Amino acid sequence: MSNKIIDARGLPCPQPVILTRNAMREADEVTTLVTGADQVANVRRLAEKAGWQVDVSEGAEGFSIALRRAGQAAAVAPEPEPATAGPGGPSVVAVPSDQMGRGEPELGGVLVRAFFHTLTEMEELPRAIVFYNTGVKLAVQGSPIADDLCALASRGVEVLVCGTCLGYYDLRDKVAAGVVSNMYTIAETLLRAGNVVSL
Amino acid sequence: MTPETPETPNTEITHGVVLVPSVSHSLRAEKALANAGLAVKLIPTPRQLSSDCGTAIRFPWAARDAVQRVLDDAGLVYDRIVALT
Repeated sequence: MSNKIIDARGLPCPQPVILTRNAMREADEVTTLVTGADQVANVRRLAEKAGWQVDVSEGAEGFSIALRRAGQAAAVAPEPEPATAGPGGPSVVAVPSDQMGRGEPELGGVLVRAFFHTLTEMEELPRAIVFYNTGVKLAVQGSPIADDLCALASRGVEVLVCGTCLGYYDLRDKVAAGVVSNMYTIAETLLRAGNVVSL
Repeated sequence: MTPETPETPNTEITHGVVLVPSVSHSLRAEKALANAGLAVKLIPTPRQLSSDCGTAIRFPWAARDAVQRVLDDAGLVYDRIVALT
């Protein structure tokens, strides 16, 4: 077992967490370099959940997160957290607009922010979240739920963002969290879900 | 109005919330606090603080005095400022 350094600066969410998790399987000490404070929180959560010691320092080019396996810590870093299963299997959240429900846009925006904040506080998570039509505006830089999505993706939730929709709204270069996806994957994800929860 | 501190001082407090009478008040408070450079987030009112379907503004507890000052200076209406435990 050795010390590993992961340079995840500038990488989109959840790459820093995925790379760190992989390194924790192979080393007793891991140092992860990240750019944003939200990425620090996500890597810290991963490591502390696995029982590792965490030491964060801030420098000119971002943050350095030093992780060390504690004496009684699990030998293997934990897998992503389990997905919520309804009667028919894992749940998938479909997000067809940048609001929750239909009505005043201002209220719909408040509700969608409250929903995703609440998701981050839940023990069991959906297996995937699918954004399409104006819903993709929630998954891009500057979105009020970008940090929440990053946290969810870092906990193993698959975040799929409709590429056609990003292109239509000229947002393709602005994705903040998740994977740009196509209709094949989106359709498969919805059809294979035990439950689809549509906002 | 003085921010309320919890009865269990040993628990480390990281965040507090501003409780407001309505969603409209939430939005106004959020805007004023964000414009003042404070790291705020609109969240559902925590269950232990209210049973209705309201929203609240979460902020770093260390900034509670600044939060109260911004709200008061702007003349914004709020119910309470409390620690999240």
